[in-house]
Amino acid sequence: MKLDTLRHRNSEALAKVFEVKEQNPLLKKLSFLGLPTKKREAYRYFDSESLLDKEYKTLSYIPKKIQEADKLEIVNGVVTTAPIGLRVYYGTYVEVDMEHYDPLYFLGHLLCPNVIIIEIDGDREVELLHRYTESNTLIHYRIVIKNQANRHATIYESFDSESAKGSLVLYGYDITVAKDSTLRIIKNQTIKDDAYAMMASHHIRVGNHANVMLKTFDFGNTSALQLLKVDLEEYAHIDAGHLLYLSGKARRGSISYIVHKGEYSSSVQESKNILEGDARGIFDALIRVEQTAKYTKTQQNSKSILLNVGTYMVAKPQLEIYIDELEASHGATTGQLDEKQLFYLQSRGISKQEAKKMLIIAFANTLIETVKDARHQEMIQESFEKAFYMRAVK
Amino acid sequence: MILDIKDLHVNIGDKQILKGLNLTLEEGKVHAIMGPNGSGKSTLSKAIVGHYDTRVTQGAILYKGKSILEMEAEERALEGIFLSFQHPIEIPGVNNAYFLRTALNAKRKHEGKEELNAAEFLRVMKGHLEALGMKSDMISRSLNEGFSGGEKKRNEILQMLILEPEVIILDEIDSGLDIDALRAVSEGINKMKDGKRSFLVITHYSRILDYIEPDYIHVLKDGKIVKTAGVELVEQLEEHGYDGIEEQEPLRTRS
Repeated sequence: MKLDTLRHRNSEALAKVFEVKEQNPLLKKLSFLGLPTKKREAYRYFDSESLLDKEYKTLSYIPKKIQEADKLEIVNGVVTTAPIGLRVYYGTYVEVDMEHYDPLYFLGHLLCPNVIIIEIDGDREVELLHRYTESNTLIHYRIVIKNQANRHATIYESFDSESAKGSLVLYGYDITVAKDSTLRIIKNQTIKDDAYAMMASHHIRVGNHANVMLKTFDFGNTSALQLLKVDLEEYAHIDAGHLLYLSGKARRGSISYIVHKGEYSSSVQESKNILEGDARGIFDALIRVEQTAKYTKTQQNSKSILLNVGTYMVAKPQLEIYIDELEASHGATTGQLDEKQLFYLQSRGISKQEAKKMLIIAFANTLIETVKDARHQEMIQESFEKAFYMRAVK
Repeated sequence: MILDIKDLHVNIGDKQILKGLNLTLEEGKVHAIMGPNGSGKSTLSKAIVGHYDTRVTQGAILYKGKSILEMEAEERALEGIFLSFQHPIEIPGVNNAYFLRTALNAKRKHEGKEELNAAEFLRVMKGHLEALGMKSDMISRSLNEGFSGGEKKRNEILQMLILEPEVIILDEIDSGLDIDALRAVSEGINKMKDGKRSFLVITHYSRILDYIEPDYIHVLKDGKIVKTAGVELVEQLEEHGYDGIEEQEPLRTRS
């Protein structure tokens, strides 16, 4: 399948491809938004066209019997194992966010009429492993997550691949965070040596008085893009942190759109980016405060370190505000390692190369240390250091 | 002599700050440099340790008879030159203990000694922490981040005690210290006086010299050492100020 061919088809032809009625609202949205091109702001700095223009093998997504295991494992878009007590099943999702800005979100839903539904009961931690094993393949799946009101759940998301070279993964979440609950999502993903490319399009709806912590740790030298839309209701809060460490010719980052809909909602968004080689990082973040969202508090910040001249960071923190009663701040800095800090370390006999490594790891640590679980913090630290030493600083 | 500075001219940017400074540090002695604001005291300390701000345009700095001007800052440190910063730098995310152990092991490696593991290092550090009145949690925090002025200075002295340098430059070590912190820091410094190590104490005020007794006082004015004498010079300075000091012929302390 070549996704780019969808670009030139009319609604009737598209309806046939996806086996839906011509009047299907998802189809209308996809036709209206059009497949990503560099002319669209969200995809300006990411080469989506070459990924969509490639011929991929397709898979048949036949649900398997889910085995019991410690982890929830999804292999090439099919659930293979799940822990006891976690409700995981396939179904249709009717609450698609029709205001989502990303055409791939709608494409994903059209490609995946059956989504993986995960219902998290009570207070629990879920380890979710995505595994890809097919090369030159279009791997597409969508996941719906629901938690319970007044409960605290955590999802540790990790990725693994074997022989998935040349594949494109289109996946994404639709998450409904129940009122008065807390949901933490910690994503740790290293993609190296063109193992696969990924475009992930998510939607998170945060209910009244609910709290979301979303921390993504993206490392490696390969292309991937995360597109996120978040809706915050009354007193809802999101703490979104994003650490990028890129090398080689990686094109990677996140595009986000956080919408404050309810009064007293709050958001904190922090992006830390370390780039070397010819890497390009993307932090394109828009926070919109609607008229209904009085007394909102929001802050967004991007800090980037460019380790050599071939790197490029696109940092676009943006606010779109329709009320007066709020507290809002945003900013972005891009630069090199701090000369004073480097000198201080050198003045104690630490070599310049070692001092640079210490400062880079320190910069990353300030986000890694926000993961309070010691085991997972160590795992992320290990992933970072592996990626770091793979392309040691000169 | 351990450090011999000859006719040193140093620029910061395009501005000449040191204008032919001569100074000799004797082994095992405490030399105090006093001088008005803007006289070049901090520039001198920066030039000795190889700070990137400074550009030596003329003259020489000889350490144990060898020029150090071509050496990187880390080489000078490994050879035994230590600067206690006037404003120690905060480095969020770098664990203080990890930093101290990395610095100590770099030094040990340079000296051909075995590196210390974490447990061995903690044993070395425990005694120093107690002596300086430092809380043990200070070493598990990020380097100088959120430290008070006194804590930062104590942390500088902790580094000095651990690294055991041979030439110790203390740049305004007393600034921002209350009397208890000043006493603790001075005790740490005095502990290092072993008749072999040399100290260069840079200060505005004579207060610190009540705690660290100097062998020589040098007055630095307009980029040059204009007077060198014994501790009695402090009284003269207190009475007449720097304006009352007249330039004398370049002096060398005994070697």
